[in-house]
Amino acid sequence: MLAPLEHRGPDEWGVYVNSHLALGHVRLSIIDPTGGHQPMNSFRSTIAYNGEVYNYIELRRELRALGRHFQTDSDTEVVQQAMEEWGVAALPKFNGQFAFLFWDKRNKQLIAARDRFGIRPLYYLPYKGAVYFASEMKAFDALPDFRRTWHPDNLLIHGVLWNTLDAHTVFKDVQSLPAGCVAVFKGQEKVDLQTYYQIGASAAEVPASFDEATLQLKALLQDAVRLRLRSDVPVGCYLSGGIDSSVITLLCKAVKKERFKSFSVVFDDETFDESHYQDAMTALIQSDHHAQTIDLDHIDKHFLDAAYFFERPVFRTAPLPLFLLSKKVRQEGIKVVLTGEAADELFCGYDTFKEMKLLRAWEEGAGREDIRKILFQLYPHLAHYGAKDKLGFLEMYYEGFLGKTGGPSAGLAIRIHNNQVLSKYLNKDWGVTFRLDTLETLVEAMLPANVKQWPVLRRNQFLEVKTLLSGYLLSSQGDRMAMAHSVEGRFPFLDHRIVDWAFNLPETYKLNGLREKHILKEAFGRALPAAIVDRPKRPYMAPELAAFIRNGKPTEKTAYFLDDQRIRDYGLFDPKMVARLLFKYRRRGIRDIGYRDNMLVSFILSAQMVEYWIRHPQSRRLTDSRRQVDIMEQ
Amino acid sequence: MDIKYALVEFLCKNFMVDEDEIDLNESLIDQGIIDSFGLVEISAFLESAYGIVTQQEQMVRDNFGSVHKIVAYVERWRS
Repeated sequence: MLAPLEHRGPDEWGVYVNSHLALGHVRLSIIDPTGGHQPMNSFRSTIAYNGEVYNYIELRRELRALGRHFQTDSDTEVVQQAMEEWGVAALPKFNGQFAFLFWDKRNKQLIAARDRFGIRPLYYLPYKGAVYFASEMKAFDALPDFRRTWHPDNLLIHGVLWNTLDAHTVFKDVQSLPAGCVAVFKGQEKVDLQTYYQIGASAAEVPASFDEATLQLKALLQDAVRLRLRSDVPVGCYLSGGIDSSVITLLCKAVKKERFKSFSVVFDDETFDESHYQDAMTALIQSDHHAQTIDLDHIDKHFLDAAYFFERPVFRTAPLPLFLLSKKVRQEGIKVVLTGEAADELFCGYDTFKEMKLLRAWEEGAGREDIRKILFQLYPHLAHYGAKDKLGFLEMYYEGFLGKTGGPSAGLAIRIHNNQVLSKYLNKDWGVTFRLDTLETLVEAMLPANVKQWPVLRRNQFLEVKTLLSGYLLSSQGDRMAMAHSVEGRFPFLDHRIVDWAFNLPETYKLNGLREKHILKEAFGRALPAAIVDRPKRPYMAPELAAFIRNGKPTEKTAYFLDDQRIRDYGLFDPKMVARLLFKYRRRGIRDIGYRDNMLVSFILSAQMVEYWIRHPQSRRLTDSRRQVDIMEQ
Repeated sequence: MDIKYALVEFLCKNFMVDEDEIDLNESLIDQGIIDSFGLVEISAFLESAYGIVTQQEQMVRDNFGSVHKIVAYVERWRS
């Protein structure tokens, strides 16, 4: 099971075996490369740990004061000793991104824990009287006679929400330890599952004024960056050209005070190209900048390679540029990058927050002219609609959601509505029993008990974090695309001190009118190039279709995976529906295809590719010379 | 060709539904058959099939709120 995960830790590997369990680990050496070998074994425990706890230096000091001694300079040993000292009460002390398995020798129990936001993955599979754990689901395919099979209902839920709920995955029997949770296993049984962190549960103090809040944000974010620069190998930064990554690179420069490498994706098609924003930032921070140029052929050519790592259907081709970028990062000798992930969720960068605001204004009696004004701000380009004289259709569309913004799960209403079309594409004979009209109830069940007291915006932020961020953006686009090339992404905005603080901010600090990320822009705007701070929205285009459908015809690879016989063989989708979809593209230019159809292509194609990899598992072997730990105990 | 027949055929071909899945009296958006861009597609269809150029003030649920309403809209325009 270790060999399929070698890309996550190509530097060394190790195993620990006793009469109760076996722990294996592949290591990407970042902190204390020569000392932090794993699994790390002590008299009382053994740990296999993936990730970083950034405040390990402070925790080590605290543990030393309690009389503990350390053999290494690694954060792994700090986590191990913290667990030995405090048990699961150690978890809220950790500031970082991690998933680990901790074998408690005294109580003969295995503790599995995952960071607050699910940055690091941890899957488990009860199978033939044992429980198996892995960072990526493909590892389970190495088990004798096991092959992942799809869970039809969960695939539908994933298609509609862009994520599965709770511990479920799109595959039968494969579970994901939920973010912020810790589970205890004894023998083959999971005997306990606790949530040690829930977003929104802490009552962070609200700043007295906006000016005070901007000062607090600067201080918090700078400290989050400082902690995430802790590394014994060089750290680089991603620079997209947006404000989020620009702020992070700016702070990186302020903290490091020395030149570092930055990395960007540059699109060959000028419609998507953001290089002039990137150039403005690199000129400011004077980084050693590297760009990965991407064109439509790259997307078509490498989507299958990326599917091997993202392991479940995706809805856009967005993971692909990140897949190629991490390759570039690794080629430049960098193992760790800071990115601007999660600012959209914390400071309301997504259109969905504005859409809900529009609907609420409408419900509260805003006039038609005001509604149109908001729509123009939401869709300044109106490329979706050809011209602004189609605005009336947008009004009609949103009109359908009036009166539906008050419910706890209302923030997902538009996504659920748009994506439910996927149910028509799944194989009708496949056994989907889930009724989409029950989805709202399931979503509401994961909300905290006091959610009704929350402002609407906060509820919507919670839903975005719990669905899109944790289960999709941080995994399919984040961890998997970086780790595909042995690169660790670090996310300063996901320092829990910032998340808790931002979550409780007044709405206008985050979404001021329709100005998203208001406080972030006010806090850092004057230090950034003006063009980046209030840059115009870019028009929506259809990169997926442009990459996969050329002149009305699918590319060779697309044709292979959407071939009628292959659709039948794999059995996930209704061949008639897929044929109809392709027929539609044949007759019409891709610029006349809307967002939903574009999403369908990505979803179906990526699901087919994931199935391909399940049927064609890669045969890999670990190099013996890289084995650093080989322990056998009673 | 009968307007309703032509419209339903267009919907089936372009929005991947079967005829018996369409409630002719309900909004196509509310039924989840089309998204916002679907209305643009239908309007383009009406323009190419019947020469109807829909104006901003005509983009309302009274005209586009169901298959029957769209048919009535076309008939009004033609008369």
